[in-house]
Amino acid sequence: MKVLVVEDERKLAHVLASALQAERYEVVVARTGDDGFSRANAEVFDLVVLDLMLPGRSGLDILQILRQRSIDTPVLILTARDGVDDRVLGLDRGADDYLVKPFALPELLARIRALLRRGRPSEVLRLKTADLELDPVARRAARGERLLELTAREFELLEYLLRHSGHLVSREMLACEVWKEPRRATPLDNVIDVQITRLRKKVDTEGAARLIHTVRGVGFVLREGEP
Amino acid sequence: MTPWSTASVRVRLTAWYAVVLALMLVAYATATFVAVRHEFFEQFDDQLHDDFETAEAFLTSSGDDGVVWTGDRHHDPDDDEDRGSDVWLASGEQVYRSGASSSLPPVALAATTAQRRYESIVANGRPWRTLTGTSLVSGRAVVLRVSRTETHLRNQLREILVVLVLGLPVVVVLAGTGGLLLARRALTPIDHLASEARRITADRLHERLSVPNQHDEIGRLAAVINETFARLESSFGQLRRFTADASHELRTPLSVIRGIGEAGLGETRTPAEYKEAMGSMLEEVDRLTNLVDTLLRLSRGDAGTVRLAREAVDLGQLTRDAVSSLGILAEERNQRVTVDGGEGVVVTADRLVLREAITNVVDNAIKYSPRDSSIRIRVRADGHDAHLAVADEGPGIAPEDRQRIFDRFFRLDEARSREHGGAGLGLAIAKWAIEANGGRITVENGPKGGSVFHIVLPAGTPPATSDHEHAFNV
Repeated sequence: MKVLVVEDERKLAHVLASALQAERYEVVVARTGDDGFSRANAEVFDLVVLDLMLPGRSGLDILQILRQRSIDTPVLILTARDGVDDRVLGLDRGADDYLVKPFALPELLARIRALLRRGRPSEVLRLKTADLELDPVARRAARGERLLELTAREFELLEYLLRHSGHLVSREMLACEVWKEPRRATPLDNVIDVQITRLRKKVDTEGAARLIHTVRGVGFVLREGEP
Repeated sequence: MTPWSTASVRVRLTAWYAVVLALMLVAYATATFVAVRHEFFEQFDDQLHDDFETAEAFLTSSGDDGVVWTGDRHHDPDDDEDRGSDVWLASGEQVYRSGASSSLPPVALAATTAQRRYESIVANGRPWRTLTGTSLVSGRAVVLRVSRTETHLRNQLREILVVLVLGLPVVVVLAGTGGLLLARRALTPIDHLASEARRITADRLHERLSVPNQHDEIGRLAAVINETFARLESSFGQLRRFTADASHELRTPLSVIRGIGEAGLGETRTPAEYKEAMGSMLEEVDRLTNLVDTLLRLSRGDAGTVRLAREAVDLGQLTRDAVSSLGILAEERNQRVTVDGGEGVVVTADRLVLREAITNVVDNAIKYSPRDSSIRIRVRADGHDAHLAVADEGPGIAPEDRQRIFDRFFRLDEARSREHGGAGLGLAIAKWAIEANGGRITVENGPKGGSVFHIVLPAGTPPATSDHEHAFNV
């Protein structure tokens, strides 16, 4: 998988590149709008991460010209402006998704995975990590032989964690994907933490290996062994 | 700037006053003079008429066919420079001519009738007034003319005119000076107020203007200015507190991040310690991000740049939604949250913004209520308003804190709020959100202790066109 990152801020470009490389993507970094534009034109990428405010050609211009030339590579835009108009403008110009700065890396990675998955059969019939199994259709979850009794919210939460098994999941992601809240607020963070604690009590019972881990300052991850 | 617009109010007032007074005096003097002049000329003509009658009485017939002037000693026309009499026979022969009238031209006898005729003529440079008419003396027709010089009359009128014309400017100047003094006297307190007000600068906002008499106009003006200063002082105070609080809240996480980073770089540590340090930094970043987001939203609200997508919202349903998402927090503390009423209570509001307000108020109630207590929420329609009350069994709020509790960064209990991760902005956001939707929020203490938050929103029907601005909220 080849990803083009168009970002002028040196540190951020470096962070993005190393995070993507850690996920085994092949990364090309362009530091100006013009460079990004010529690379996107000349090479074939699976995905473009595009900053909107760039020296030279702006992100929106690049996006528009790419789409006019029928280059349909998925584009995820990064913007510091979170006004409704800015977001709508980006999506109207042909972006597939956007993230508002400052964003959490796990969320960026999750969105990239989602964009790359698009168009492929994504419904896995059974989600499984270690001896934890979840059947989204039958709405049934079990740890080994033990059937888990989960509330609706707990089930959705576990399903989301399992779908991103092995990857970090931030509170922001949970707020908007599981709770469907447009805005993350302090009360909701508390709610998420309590919900995770309860889910963990049911999933990671004594004697079984811990699967749901808290990553301090970032969020949660479901995986075997240490986070 | 014209000189006029830079002149003081005092000078302008006086100038207006003087001009108006002068115009009125000119009109008055003109009317007076015209009336006096008319009256003088009427009297003068009456005197001529009397002269004519007297002259008629002096004429007697002298036997055969003559007419004789018999002047009397009381009235000797020869000695009288200013009056004259002439008598002619119909044949044109002059019967009598007084000395004074010798300069006057003869009359046209043929044109003279019994109808007496007044005339003004000038002879030898003197203005004369004459009365001419026919008269019968013992059956004989004679033409009689009496005349008086107008010189005295005109001199008198001229004197009156001179008095009027010269006196008028003097009166205007005197009145203007008086007006200027009065205006100065009336406006001095305003100058005084202005210089006092100028003294009160941003760092001396606690000072007030002196109010000599609070019942007159100046006193009321000073009172109004004082009220403005009070509001300004309170805004400045709020702004100062806000700036101090905001910089505290922003700097604390920054110094934590910096401190952890510097300590981490200081000496070699284990990977676990590095992870711990980074996690701790990220927590602070998270706190900063939330804080900046919230502050940005509040300042957009202040600037009025937030566009609300107002639609018909079922307040009961919205409240139950908000409560159910927070329910787990109450459960943890073994608190019961109940929602009563709300069936069919519809308000026109931005759903997301209103929901956030309700969430923050309910979250606040959960936080400050003890374990095992109840939080009772009631939704009802109240005339044209929808009313939402959130009653908790917490410690309640002291009267002096009831207004400040909605201030930004205000915390009743510093330590306890930090533990919950709040920055003291939840109720400030709620207040903004509710006021943006045309409602108001107040707090009071419940009859059995605890506090009760009242949210009043205008009930309403949805606007015809709905707004899809929030379609892209992620």
